[in-house]
Amino acid sequence: MTDDATFTLATLGVLSGAIGTYLLLPHRRGRAKARTLYVAGGLFAALGLLGFLLLLTPPALSPLGELVSGAFFYVFAAGALGCGVMTVTSRNPVYSALWFAGTVIATAGLFLLADAQFLAAGTVIVYAGAIVVTFLFVIMLAQMEGKAVYDRAARTPGRAVFTSFLLLWSLAYCLVGLSGSYRPDAAGPEAAAEDRLHPGRELGPHFFQEATGAGVRVVLDKALRPTSSLFAEDRGDSDAAILKPNVAGLGEALYADHLVTVELAGSLLFAALIAAVLIADPRPTRKRGETA
Amino acid sequence: MTDPFSIDLLTNYLLVGAALFALGMLGFVSRRNLIVMFLSAEMMLQGVGLSLVAFGRFHGNWTGQVFTIVILTVAACEASIAMALIVVLYNRKESLDVTLWQEVREEGVGPTDLVDEATQAAPLEHEDGIETYPTLTPAGLEPAHPIQPWTERRR
Repeated sequence: MTDDATFTLATLGVLSGAIGTYLLLPHRRGRAKARTLYVAGGLFAALGLLGFLLLLTPPALSPLGELVSGAFFYVFAAGALGCGVMTVTSRNPVYSALWFAGTVIATAGLFLLADAQFLAAGTVIVYAGAIVVTFLFVIMLAQMEGKAVYDRAARTPGRAVFTSFLLLWSLAYCLVGLSGSYRPDAAGPEAAAEDRLHPGRELGPHFFQEATGAGVRVVLDKALRPTSSLFAEDRGDSDAAILKPNVAGLGEALYADHLVTVELAGSLLFAALIAAVLIADPRPTRKRGETA
Repeated sequence: MTDPFSIDLLTNYLLVGAALFALGMLGFVSRRNLIVMFLSAEMMLQGVGLSLVAFGRFHGNWTGQVFTIVILTVAACEASIAMALIVVLYNRKESLDVTLWQEVREEGVGPTDLVDEATQAAPLEHEDGIETYPTLTPAGLEPAHPIQPWTERRR
């Protein structure tokens, strides 16, 4: 795709998405919107989603597996983005939470397509299973009678839509329209080391022959350990690299390379537990020495 | 090089992650309900996690997935603390409106004009349109209830 076509497509898609989302958002003063406005907003948002999906690189048609996974990528991406728009624009917070669960499930599907099976399961369990249920619980606990003003009114919707869709447009343009960050022209080990978007796993075999200093060798040895690799045999850029079994490899990497991270995450959870208990305590805090 | 995860696929994942991030930011900025704001923040985290997993897959190491697990942990902590905070805030003001908490804003930042309408937050004006709840038709006389055997057994 040429740069001009990409630019036009990104601009048109993001623009119609922005218009549609603005129409779907609640009114600024909480007034009711006409049904035709909602229909127009949904239409524009669907058009924007279509333009955004056209921006993605389509999958190859020849092997059937690749075609099927590409099609599922489109399904999950459209589901995640559509549910995301509905999360943001729903008047009822219960519906917002349920649409958010849809976003989470679609994202879990994308994780599956990126060979992260454990994370897909973990995301569904933790987000859709625990977090959304907690949100729903609190919504039921703190729900106003009927629909509150603050659910029917948005806060500066025009400026918010402009800002966030400007961010989206610039990100999409940088990712697709420009040819990435600095890419050297010549091929070879030197160029591969310079190239920021070169796959990291291919650097090792090239580099170990080239690396002269002891320091470089030590750093590379640390960075490219066999436990850190996603592949069973680190054969560099040779064909048909076989992925490790997901949970076994992830556990190995987690407990061999990132042990301190695991400990830190555990202590963070513990601290959050204490904080939640302290914050939500209904009794008034008393100073020390003061008797009840 | 036959790795199916090419740089085009990486770009696709990054685009979807960026879109999720932008949508979450839109919700966080524009909605006034505290719970929807926190949901939007979680959606931003989802976008970032998607980008991290795609980067890790592209470069062939586990770092992206490990960091996404850390994000998951932080999201769980954030959700628990946020829920506790929301319950406390709701008990103070009887409302989930974030504009009611403008007195904790930065020094030198003016309040938005929404605070005036927010203080007189009177919900439930019945408007004809998409935003009203459907109502049942009023019932007539209450019919005589014949006593069924299964209700008698309960008594």
